[in-house]
Amino acid sequence: MSSSPCETCPANAHLAQMGLKIDKYDRIVALAGNPNTGKSTLFNSLTGLNQHTGNWPGKTVTRAEGGYEFNGIRYKLVDLPGTYSLLSASQDEEVARNFILFGQPDCVVVVTDATALERNLNLVLQVMEITHRVVVAVNLMDEARRKGLEVDVRSLSRDLGVPAIPITARTGEGVQTLLTTIEEVISEKIQTKPLRASGTVEFRQAVEELSGMITGLIPNIPNARWLAIRLLDGDARVEQALLNGELADLVANQRQSDLRLSSKTALAGNQ
Amino acid sequence: MVDPILILVSVMLLGFAVLVLLPRQGLLARLKAAKEAAQREKIEDILKFMLDRQQEGRFASTESLAGVLGIRSKELLKLRVVMEAQGLVRTEGNALALTPAGEQLALQIVRAHRLWERYLATEARLPLEKVHREAHRLEHRISVVQVNELDAALGYPQHDPHGDPIPNQSGEFPSEQMGKPLTAWPQGIPGRVVHLEDEPTLAYEQILAEGLKLGQNLRVLEVTPERYVLTDGENEYRLAPAVAANIFLVPLPEPSDMAKDVIPLVALKDGQQAEIVNIDEACQGFTRRRFLDLGLTPGAVISPELTNFFGDPRAYRVRGVLIALRQDQAGMVQVRPVQQQ
Amino acid sequence: MATLSDQNLTPQDVLARAQALRPRLGAAFRDEIVKSLYGEAERIARRAVHRLEDKKWDLDQRIDRIVTSPVWGLPIMLLLLAGVFWITIVGSNIPSQMLANAFFWLEGVLAGLFTNWGVPWWITGFLWHGVYRGLAWVVSVMLPPMAIFFPLFTILEDLGYLPRVAFNLDFLFKRAGAHGKQALTMAMGFGCNAAGVVATRVIDSPRERLIAILTNNFVPCNGRFPTLIMLATVFVAAAFPPVVASFVAAGSVLAVVLIGVFFTLLVSWALSRTFLKGEASAFTLELPPYRRPNVGRILYTSFIDRTIFVLLRAMQTAAPAGAVIWMLGNIYVGGASLANHIANFLDPFGLLLGLDGVILLAYIIAIPANEIVVPTMLMVYMGTGMMTDLPGLDMLRTLLVGQHDWTLLTAINLMLFSLLHNPCATTILTIYKETRSAKWAAASVIITLGLAFLVTFTTASFARLLGWV
Repeated sequence: MSSSPCETCPANAHLAQMGLKIDKYDRIVALAGNPNTGKSTLFNSLTGLNQHTGNWPGKTVTRAEGGYEFNGIRYKLVDLPGTYSLLSASQDEEVARNFILFGQPDCVVVVTDATALERNLNLVLQVMEITHRVVVAVNLMDEARRKGLEVDVRSLSRDLGVPAIPITARTGEGVQTLLTTIEEVISEKIQTKPLRASGTVEFRQAVEELSGMITGLIPNIPNARWLAIRLLDGDARVEQALLNGELADLVANQRQSDLRLSSKTALAGNQ
Repeated sequence: MVDPILILVSVMLLGFAVLVLLPRQGLLARLKAAKEAAQREKIEDILKFMLDRQQEGRFASTESLAGVLGIRSKELLKLRVVMEAQGLVRTEGNALALTPAGEQLALQIVRAHRLWERYLATEARLPLEKVHREAHRLEHRISVVQVNELDAALGYPQHDPHGDPIPNQSGEFPSEQMGKPLTAWPQGIPGRVVHLEDEPTLAYEQILAEGLKLGQNLRVLEVTPERYVLTDGENEYRLAPAVAANIFLVPLPEPSDMAKDVIPLVALKDGQQAEIVNIDEACQGFTRRRFLDLGLTPGAVISPELTNFFGDPRAYRVRGVLIALRQDQAGMVQVRPVQQQ
Repeated sequence: MATLSDQNLTPQDVLARAQALRPRLGAAFRDEIVKSLYGEAERIARRAVHRLEDKKWDLDQRIDRIVTSPVWGLPIMLLLLAGVFWITIVGSNIPSQMLANAFFWLEGVLAGLFTNWGVPWWITGFLWHGVYRGLAWVVSVMLPPMAIFFPLFTILEDLGYLPRVAFNLDFLFKRAGAHGKQALTMAMGFGCNAAGVVATRVIDSPRERLIAILTNNFVPCNGRFPTLIMLATVFVAAAFPPVVASFVAAGSVLAVVLIGVFFTLLVSWALSRTFLKGEASAFTLELPPYRRPNVGRILYTSFIDRTIFVLLRAMQTAAPAGAVIWMLGNIYVGGASLANHIANFLDPFGLLLGLDGVILLAYIIAIPANEIVVPTMLMVYMGTGMMTDLPGLDMLRTLLVGQHDWTLLTAINLMLFSLLHNPCATTILTIYKETRSAKWAAASVIITLGLAFLVTFTTASFARLLGWV
C-alpha cells in the first residue's frame, strides 16, 4: 500500500463544492487534527464555505459541517475542533472523540502540520486506535520547504500503515490526490494496517486480556484494544457506552452500513 | 351577595394551604426532607468517625462522638437508635461498633469525600484550604452510582490531594507505604512528603502557606521545643511542632544518580537544552494530562526560547513547537540539562 | 484469560476485570500511555523528516525575538494597535462624510417627492425622517471604520500575532486570577462581544472562562467603536492643531481601549477573589508559526462575513429604533414631545453622571444594538430643533456644544459610559446560552452597568469639585 500518485487519478476527477447542502450524502468524512494545522482552510476549500480561520489555537470551537461531491459521490465533511490528544477529556476533545467513536465517519482525515510532525503524530496514533479508516494529510508542505524540512511521506505511510498525502491546503496542492485516497480507503481499495504503540509488558498483558474480553462480549468490534486502554485508564463515557449497549449497537449499525456501501460501490462500478 | 373580601381571603387561605401541604413541593414536605437530610448527614459523619477510630484499633465511645462531632448526647441517643434499627452499628460493652453494613456505608462516604477533594483540587482548581469543607458538604449528596462515575471520570486516582488513599468500589484501599510524622523523623535524613493532614484546618493552612506540598523532598535541619526547621535544598521552612506533626514522610526510593543534575525547568537559561526527567507528583489532574498531551513526557528535549517583559510566562521549544508555560507550572517539570555540541 | 471462552460475559464482568487489573499498572498508567505514544511518534518522525539545510534561527524565531522581547514587546504591541486605530480614523473620515452627504441629499429629494405627491406629512416624516434617517446614520457612521478596521485586524490575526499578545500580557491576567487566553477572547471582542463570548471556549477551566465571559464587554466592539471614534475626533482632537489631530484621536481611542483593559483586569481580579475563587488552571499556550495572510481572502471574508453581517444586524435594529424615535419626537403631550418628557425626566440623573437625559434615553432605546446610540441621540437632539441641514462632523460639534451644552466632560464620560455599560441584547443572550445560567447573564449586566454608573459619577463629581465644568 502506498499513496496513490496522481497518474492513477480517474480522468474525470471532479470536485464540486456543495456548501451547506448536506441533507443527502453517501459518505461521512471527519477532519481531525491538532489546533492550527489548517483543518478549517481545507474544510473551506473543499466545501466552499467560510468557516472562520485565524492563526491562533482553538478558533474552531464546535464542529462545522459542509458538503462536497467528488467523482459523483456526495460527502458530508465534518470539521472537528482541533485537539492535541483524545485523552484529556476537555470539552473540545470530548466533541472530537465522541464523533470519531459514535458518529461513525466512513473515514477520518487527520490533518497534520508538516513542520511539527512529531507532536502531530501523537494524535494520529490515537485516532488509528479507534478506527482503521484513516488518511493522514500532511499539510503546510510549503512552510516545511520554507523551513528547509523534507518530509518523506512514503516512509510515513509505511511506518503508520495508513496512507499519508502531502498537501498545501491554502493553494490546493495535493488535494485531488487526498480526495482520491479517501475514496479508496472507504471502498477498501487501499487496505490499511494501522500501527499500534506497544508500551510496557504489564500494559500489553492487561490490554490484551481486557480486549479479549471485550471481543468476547461484542464480536466484530473493531477497536477492542482502544476500548480496553480507555477502561483501564478510566473513562466514564466509554464505561457508560459499554454498560448501556451503545457500543454493541454501533457495531451492528456499522455492519449494516458497510453492506449498503459495498452494494453501492458495486452499482457505481457497473455504470 | 357574597362579600368579595371573603372570597379573596378564602382563596388566599386555600392557596396558602396548598403551598404548605403539597406532597412534594409543599413547605411541610420540604421541611421534612431537609430534616431527614440533616439527620442522614449526622449519621454519616458518625459512621465515618467510627471507621477512623476502628482503623486505629479503637472503638468510639459515645462521649468521644459527642465531643468530636459536637452533637448533644440527647440527640446522639436518638441517632443511635436509628442507626441500630438500620443495622449500621451494634453495642459492644460501653462502646459502639460498626456492623459490616455500617462499615461499608462509612467507606462509601470516605470514598466520596476523597474523590470530591480530588476533583475540587485538580479539576475545579479550588484553593486547597477550601477543598475539605466543600467536599464535606458534597459527600452526603451523591449516590453510589455517581461516586463510581466520578471515580472513572477522574481516571481512578489512588490518593486525594492530601495524600490519603482512596478506597476503590469494593472498599479496598490501595496498598502503600504509611508515612511517619515529621516529629518522629530522624534529623538530617531526607524523606519524601506522602501525606499532609488536613485537620485541624488551621495547621493545614499554615502548611500550605509555607508552600509545602506532596512529593517534596525534605530534610530536618534543627529541632527545638518551639520549632522545626526544614529544608528542601532551596528554601527553609519553620514550623511549630504541632504543625510539623501533620506532615508525613517516607524514605526516599533510592539515593541513585537519577536525581543528579536534575533542576526545575524554570532554572534553565534561554537557549539551554535539557531533557525532561519527570513531572512532579503534586501536579495532577487536568494540568498533568495537558502537559503530557503537549509532549512534555520524560525523555523529550526542551529548551526555553522566549521571555517576555514580565519574565513570566516563558515560551519553550519542545518537539518542534513553541509552547508558553507559566513559571509556577514550569517549576513542576524536572529536567536534566544536556551538553550541547 | 480463562474468561475468553466464557459465553455468559456481561459488561459488568469487563468493568470488574478492568478494576482488578488497574492496580497492577500503577498510578502512572496515563504517563505510560502518552510516553509510549510519543516514543512511537518520535521514531516515525525521525525517519520521515529530514532537515535539508541547518538554519540556526529561522525567520519566525527572529521575529519572535523582537515582538515578545522584554524591551520591545509591549511598545510594539501598543504601536500596532494605535496604528490600526489611526489608519481607521484617517481612512474613514472622508468616506463617512461622502456617504452622509449622499444619503441626506437623497432623503431631501425623496421626502420632497412624497410631499409633492400629496402623501400625508406623518407618513413622509415617519418613513424618511424616522426610519430612513436612522439607517443612513448607521451606514455612514459605521461602514467606513468597519471596512477598514476589520481587514487590518484580520491580517494581524491570520499572521499569528494574537497569541503573542496573549503571551506578552499573560502575567497581568495571572495576577488577576484569570487565564492568558482571555487576551485572545478580548481580541475577538473587538469584532463583536457575542463572538468574543463564544471564543472563551478556548479556556478550559470553567472558572477562568466565566471570568472571561463576564469581562468581555469591556472591550469596545465594532458597534461602539464608531461612537468612540466620532467622539475622539469631534471633541478631543478638535482641541488640537489639525496636523496632530488624527494622532490625538487615535491616541484617545487607544487610551479608552487601555482603560477597558484596566477594568477587565480589575473586575477579573475582584471576581477571582470573591465569587469565582480558585487556583490557576494549566496555562499552556501554543505560539504557532507566522503564516502569510491571504490578503484577497481577508478582504473578501471581512467584508462579506463581518462588515455586511454586522451592518445588516445594525440596520435591522436601526430601522425600528428610528421609527420609535420619530414617534417619541413627534407625539406631543401637553406641549412637549414624548422624547422631551422622558429626556427631562432622566435629565437630573444624567447630569449626575456628567451626561444628560437624552444620552440615557438613547442608551435605553439602543439596548438591542449599541450601534445606534449616537444616531439615536442625534435624532432626539435634532428632532427637538427639527434640523434639516446636513450634519457633518463640524455641524455636529455646533449642534452638541452650541445648542445642547456639551462639554469635554460630557464627551469623556460618554466615551467611558459607552466602554463600560451593559452588553447589547445579542451578547446577553449569548452569555445566557454559553453559561446556561440566567444568574450569570444578569450578573454581566449588573457588573457592567454598575461600574459604568460608578465611574462616570466619580469623574463627573471630581470634575465639578475641581471646578473644571
